[in-house]
Amino acid sequence: MNADADMTRVSRPLQIVAYVFAVLVGLAFLYPYWWMLVSAFRSTRAIMDDPLRLLPEALDFSIFSEIANIGGVPLARYIANSLAITTASTVLSVVVTALGAYALTRKPHLPGFTALRYGFLVTIMYPYMLLVIPVYLVMFKLGLLGSYSGIILFLALGPIQFFLFEQFFRKIPHEVIEAAIIDGANEAQILFRIVLPMASSITATVALITFLLNWAQWFPVLVISKSPDTYTLPVALLSMNTELGANFQGIMALAVITTLPVAGLFLLAQKRVMEGMAAGAVKG
Amino acid sequence: MTTTLETVWHNRIFYLFVLPFAALTILFGVWPIVLSIAVSFTASATALRPNPTYIGFANYAAIFADPGFLASLARTFIYTAAAVVANVGFAFGMAVLIDSPLLRRGGLLLRLALFLPVVTPDIAGYVVWRWLYDRSFGAINALLDLVGLPAFAGLTTGLTATISLLIAELWHHAGFYMLIFHANLAIRDRALEEAAHVDGATTWQRWRYVILPQLKPAFIINTVYALIQFLKTFTVVVVMTKGGPNEATNFVTHYAYQLFDQGRYGEATAMASVLFAIVIGISLSIYRMGDKEAGR
Repeated sequence: MNADADMTRVSRPLQIVAYVFAVLVGLAFLYPYWWMLVSAFRSTRAIMDDPLRLLPEALDFSIFSEIANIGGVPLARYIANSLAITTASTVLSVVVTALGAYALTRKPHLPGFTALRYGFLVTIMYPYMLLVIPVYLVMFKLGLLGSYSGIILFLALGPIQFFLFEQFFRKIPHEVIEAAIIDGANEAQILFRIVLPMASSITATVALITFLLNWAQWFPVLVISKSPDTYTLPVALLSMNTELGANFQGIMALAVITTLPVAGLFLLAQKRVMEGMAAGAVKG
Repeated sequence: MTTTLETVWHNRIFYLFVLPFAALTILFGVWPIVLSIAVSFTASATALRPNPTYIGFANYAAIFADPGFLASLARTFIYTAAAVVANVGFAFGMAVLIDSPLLRRGGLLLRLALFLPVVTPDIAGYVVWRWLYDRSFGAINALLDLVGLPAFAGLTTGLTATISLLIAELWHHAGFYMLIFHANLAIRDRALEEAAHVDGATTWQRWRYVILPQLKPAFIINTVYALIQFLKTFTVVVVMTKGGPNEATNFVTHYAYQLFDQGRYGEATAMASVLFAIVIGISLSIYRMGDKEAGR
């Protein structure tokens, strides 16, 4: 105890240096958010005159009605697409990955299971951006191009979801399952009455992380879409940013709409998100 | 002696559980990869037809004879090396600072500030950075001007554009590597440090011989993740530079995508295969190195 106290004794000046440094780094990381938010309320003209102003001249929400229609599609539709695609792909991902990881963890040596595991590992090692291109061909062959289901199905597959579930299922003691078998439970009962009730916390973590990750997805959405009708907010933002003579204030306003929901969700559940992402990553 | 078929039938419920996962993995993982590799052996003009013309390794020969691709590959390696060192180094420093008794309170706040960009949609983050670098709108040059420093050319010259991408990507990714380091620092065996302290070890010796060896897995994981991440650098290029100025930021994934966009499917998919081989090769050799040292 004494040694510990001695070891962690800190000098005052060093502590001040550490705090100043920490505050500077923290502000540098957060400043882009503030600048984005303030710029959404300032006219393009005003920003060019004074890019550093920390507060808008006036709280003017008119920009949000100005971008109510982007590229011929209502802003509300992009928001609805984002919510629908992210929610559906999250639910699908949780169900499919939980069942898959459970089967692969319980019976790793069944015929075909090792091959499936390798297939999955190769898939997540493949450069994602370059995988999306042949996925376009697959979607074409399956007739899913331009459809919501194509986008949702593709977004349901992810590494961190699988690793989190796999880790959890591995930690369930064999005795628990053996006892249930001796009591005459069949495999469906073991899964639905014993394993899944134990897994509620990890399921919430996986769902949360999947939602955050899938909200940000853009390339698969862009590639599988045939028209802006199925674009999500990040894709709408990208296409707005690529336009010539870009509306700077509108871009910042759309960036705010794209960022705010997930930033808020993260801050509300930061402990669960960070613990889950650390745990899911450590199993590489 | 049971046959394979009997084993499968006996365990049919597990096959039922795994079926949706297997379907997604095969349809949207294995099949596109096989398709991509197959296309890389066909003539681009016939690649999408039912009966493509197979031309052996001609696409591979073509890309390795393409100075644009070789330059793009070299550029990708240099950028990746710089980004891995910058991200892992910065993340390690931040994790140590957050974990240290110097920041009694405030450690969590710094952790949140560093991690928020990780869950921020990358498009939104990079769009904001693109404009921050802008000469007339951007806050960066306005700030440099305010404190009397020379202007930063940002996305307008090759070297500064590369640095600009690196900073924006560090902002987006470093929080994740910090998280891994921090998690590993938090679970380290503190009794060992006390023992070392009682034995008269200096702070430097404590770090060098007690703490750093325990962080080795975190260094390996972070290095592999960062290597894979930055070899694939794409989104930031699409948002901020489109490969310019003068090809200075045209990394392999973006170069391959440009070819794909021009209908040069064979060469684009050959590049994908090459990048895939590089990613697998690097990851496996680093894991091997780690295993060997751990087994010593």
